[in-house]
Amino acid sequence: MSDKDPALRANAPRLQLHVPEPLFRPGDTPDFSGIKVPAAGSAPRPDTSAPAVDTHPLTTNLVRVLDEQHRAVGPWDPKLDADTLRKILKDMVTVRVFDDRMYRSQRQGKTSFYMKCTGEEAIATATAAALDRDDMHFPTYRQQGLLVARGYPLASMMNQIYSNKGDPLKGRQLPIMYSDKAHGFFSISGNLGTQFPQAVGWAMAAAIKGDSRICMGWIGDGATAEGDFHSALTFAAVYNVPVILAVVNNQWAISSFSGIAGAERATFAQRAVGYGVAGLRVDGNDALAVYAAVQWSAERARTNAGPTLIEFFTYRAEGHSTSDDPSGYRPIDEAKAWPLGDPIERLKAHLLALDEWDEKRHSALTAEADATVRAAQKESEKLGILPQQGKDNVGSMFDDVYSDVPWHIAEQRDAALAEGRD
Amino acid sequence: MANYEFKLPDIGEGIAEAEIVAWHVKVGDVIGEDQQIADMMTDKATVEMESPVAGKVVQLAGEVGDQVPIGSVLAVIETDGAGADVSLPASGQDGQETTAEGERTDTVAMADGAVAPTAAQEQAMPSVGEERASEPTPVRPEPVEGLSSTKQPQERHSASTSSSRTAGDAKVLASPAVRARARDLGIDLAQVRTASDRIRHSDLDAYLLYNGGSVCGRGLAPRQDETIKVVGLRRKIAENMAEAKRRIPHFTLVEEFDVTDLEDTRAMMNRDRGTNPKLTLLPFLITAISKALPDWPMLNATYDDDASVITRHGALNLGMATQTPNGLMVPVIRDAQAMSVWQLATEALRLAEAARTGKAAREELSGSSITLSSLGPMGGITSTPVINRPEVAIIAVNKVEEKVVVLDGEIEVRKRMNLSLSCDHRVVDGWDAANFMQTLKGYIENPIRLLSA
Amino acid sequence: MPTMNMIQALNDAHKVAMRADNDIVVFGEDIGFFGGVFRVTEGLQKEFGKTRVFDAPISEGGIVATAVGMAAYGIKPVIEIQFADYIYPGYDQIVSEVAKMRYRTAGEWPMPMVIRTPYGGGIFGGQTHSQSPESLFTHIAGLKVVIPSTPHDAKGLLLAAIEDPDPVIFFEPKRIYNGPFDGHHDRPVTPWTKHPASDVPEGHYTVPLGKAAVVRKGHALTVLAYGTMVHVALAAVEEQGLDAEVIDLRTLVPLDIATIKRSVEKTGRCLIAQEAPRTSGFAAELSALVQERCFYHLEAPVERVTGWDTPYPHAYEWAYFPGPKRLKRALEKVMAD
Repeated sequence: MSDKDPALRANAPRLQLHVPEPLFRPGDTPDFSGIKVPAAGSAPRPDTSAPAVDTHPLTTNLVRVLDEQHRAVGPWDPKLDADTLRKILKDMVTVRVFDDRMYRSQRQGKTSFYMKCTGEEAIATATAAALDRDDMHFPTYRQQGLLVARGYPLASMMNQIYSNKGDPLKGRQLPIMYSDKAHGFFSISGNLGTQFPQAVGWAMAAAIKGDSRICMGWIGDGATAEGDFHSALTFAAVYNVPVILAVVNNQWAISSFSGIAGAERATFAQRAVGYGVAGLRVDGNDALAVYAAVQWSAERARTNAGPTLIEFFTYRAEGHSTSDDPSGYRPIDEAKAWPLGDPIERLKAHLLALDEWDEKRHSALTAEADATVRAAQKESEKLGILPQQGKDNVGSMFDDVYSDVPWHIAEQRDAALAEGRD
Repeated sequence: MANYEFKLPDIGEGIAEAEIVAWHVKVGDVIGEDQQIADMMTDKATVEMESPVAGKVVQLAGEVGDQVPIGSVLAVIETDGAGADVSLPASGQDGQETTAEGERTDTVAMADGAVAPTAAQEQAMPSVGEERASEPTPVRPEPVEGLSSTKQPQERHSASTSSSRTAGDAKVLASPAVRARARDLGIDLAQVRTASDRIRHSDLDAYLLYNGGSVCGRGLAPRQDETIKVVGLRRKIAENMAEAKRRIPHFTLVEEFDVTDLEDTRAMMNRDRGTNPKLTLLPFLITAISKALPDWPMLNATYDDDASVITRHGALNLGMATQTPNGLMVPVIRDAQAMSVWQLATEALRLAEAARTGKAAREELSGSSITLSSLGPMGGITSTPVINRPEVAIIAVNKVEEKVVVLDGEIEVRKRMNLSLSCDHRVVDGWDAANFMQTLKGYIENPIRLLSA
Repeated sequence: MPTMNMIQALNDAHKVAMRADNDIVVFGEDIGFFGGVFRVTEGLQKEFGKTRVFDAPISEGGIVATAVGMAAYGIKPVIEIQFADYIYPGYDQIVSEVAKMRYRTAGEWPMPMVIRTPYGGGIFGGQTHSQSPESLFTHIAGLKVVIPSTPHDAKGLLLAAIEDPDPVIFFEPKRIYNGPFDGHHDRPVTPWTKHPASDVPEGHYTVPLGKAAVVRKGHALTVLAYGTMVHVALAAVEEQGLDAEVIDLRTLVPLDIATIKRSVEKTGRCLIAQEAPRTSGFAAELSALVQERCFYHLEAPVERVTGWDTPYPHAYEWAYFPGPKRLKRALEKVMAD
């Protein structure tokens, strides 16, 4: 250390703060030709017991299975039978239809809030297909596909969205913050990132108890900036935890592009390198690639070979939520320009190419999904919609704060009930 | 046909209003469900509003550029009433009306002073004394007993009306404990002098010493004597009571019941009662009585002592002693044995209200086979109820109190309540009464047994 | 009956609980092989093995978060945050997740766990090893907050906390780990062996949560205290020769309001002692409750004796600590006619 001559200091370059900017803003013509899309089938597939370091080249690559001719190619092809593919397709279509119906419901004043996962449907639905039914998930708010794929009743989801009499969460949670133990779906938190290290804790417990079930934690690109992301990776690495940690990089955190979370410097999958855990970067709009990556990571976890950090590279095709209008910060047609296409269209094309599908069946599938969702909506709305709620059974608001209702809360409950009678 | 008011929902988490950017429909258009109506702009987003219903547009909220407050009507759509979706009343007023009805039910439940012996009510003692006095209480013929500050005569009272009292207190400094004591003694602190910066207990002591008994007694003007003719219902009551006492050799048995578990159960049921009326102890006691009586049918009987015939009744037609502005009345819950506690609560409320407002039908006021009398928290520790002829038994409910009791060698605080049973000794033996009480105990102290079929 | 200091009592509570319940796991910074910086977990790893007792990374957020995951799985974490001053990185997980999980899942995922942490000053720990952040947790619905003041209660309360179906923040007053403290820092430390509450029963027993202890009976005033301040207050009323009733709250949430009310209605005067800073401290809540419930029994304003509204200063520790002098002034004030 030395004291600098003031004259020298005066002539030193001025320090600059770099504030990342997305490539395109409203009015620009989106052009994603700069995004390198490796050919499907080109990424190598290490053995699931390989040292973590063998996976690290994959953190800057992109695991892709479906090629331009809609064939499944390369070492990551999970070689799924047509029924499994059709099941994933059906789940994806159901999720999309469900999202559209619920978005409409919000616009019609039937609930306060909704979040779609349009363009990202393959990630949760193909994951559900790749994991065992009793494996555990600690999801974010864009993995509704897990519930749909696991057969959770659509009407129950809607009951939660409407906070109505059938709401399993008794009207206490923001719409779409589902929770269901029986479907291995942990309670969604509005405080982003918290569930990521919790998933590690669940898997630690499974390891402590000698269980064979594994766990998957989910996070968005934006929330990787939270300390919880670091905690999760640290604990997962330290205890070699049987967990799959997934970053869904949909490029946008409300209006902040992934660069604000550090994506200009390294991929999210590359975070794995510093922790010494396995890392995969996966085309999130390719259902087969998603399936293959999750299957690989699950096998690794189940054989005590360690945790895997997966980055699902995708694009949030719609607004963050019903409260958001993306035309204020990105070009309207950006989703259409996204180079990795639409996951439903891609899987459909693959099934067509296999001659396991046709347009008629696809129309029938869409119509069936629409009918199913509408029927669920009718059923759910019989139990009420949000504007009718919050008046009956006000006393229940004071349950479940503790296992019992302590005196101070009982007093407050009495006061609230008295208010209701005023 | 029905008009559906589509109110502008809160589309963006807590915004106050939105601007109409574009209309996609005009008055007179026939639109389908989910059809786009308007584009609305908030400070967060521009959103497309879609119609929840199909129908004809009959009214729109304003022009492009207008601000529309959240919750106000954006469009009125005429729908086919018959085919209306179940969810349609959603943003209308129906939900609130339902609630208002629920509230009315609640109010009635609260007004039921007959049976609500909760510990909480008993606890609320000193601080509510004044408020109680301000409640309208029926004028009673008895002379004013006691000399509490709340029943002072006119001239004294005017000096301590609430406004002047407040003004007086504002100038007087005293600790809360001194204020409480002064209030309990009926002393106006403004009259108390002190040599220090505030009035202390010693000042109150001195005031009491020098003003002696007059603190309480002074100013009590003699009441005018009153003559009241005993007529109507009062005379009927007088005759019945005299006849009952003259003819029936009463004996009264008092037993103590542990109602801790029952009170817990009641509290739990009330918590989840939904739109049901609030449960007092009464319906539980009636249920217990209806379950105990089949084993001791001699109590659920009427005795025609002129003809020397006893009729043992199969059904429980429970007389419910009820205080009304005109005096005691006994409306009857018919076939009480066939009712759930919720039904009993509803029926008891209805009958009590009917009796109080004079709307009870004649047949609702006769034909009881046994009577229950309860004064709720004022029920005393024991009572000797007078039998309602020609019945042969009456049960009085005494108040629930927390008591220290010894249970399995341990000292515990439990909620206890006495029931006082008077019987006609001509036709009911002490042994019957005692056994009936024990059977009753088996139900009252075991709510699961009581409530199971 | 064995004589134990508070550390030994807490250690014994762990052993009793872990022998009875295989689902209890203990982890935290330095708590495994080494047995914790205050030695509360000494010998646990040896007896129960590394998968039930292990060192955690320096990541309070990660410690609490993984405990949440474990509780969700169905085992019971008893975790240590090395100093209460370090708990803040875990605060989001405690407040947003641990405390609210039972509620937001409508009872499907309760979060039974114990978060133990040494708190309080008087050991020359400076700003970052002396804080009393209990009011940051009493303010959060869904958490129970427990603070023992003797070896006997430490063991019984910790066992009760471990068996409780709700999450418990368990603050351990580290100044009195090894002996009670009368507030006179210039006097030699008295060991627990001289104190009757160092008689700690062997095996399993609990001190129920939500029950205060009247540690000294009296009629002239009521002193409410917890943790270290119980002993400091006891010594002060003794020195002032006051007929004071001293109540050790033991559990802050849920509070034993009945015992407090009974006492203040009897004495008509109330002084509250806490080591934490004054503004928005738990003493403020206590003061409000006493005022609301005992107003017409009060002969004098409720007094608070607290730390100052500054960080805990290293060299000025004893000028900061609410010791005998501050208590004496407050006692005189609350007793003035």
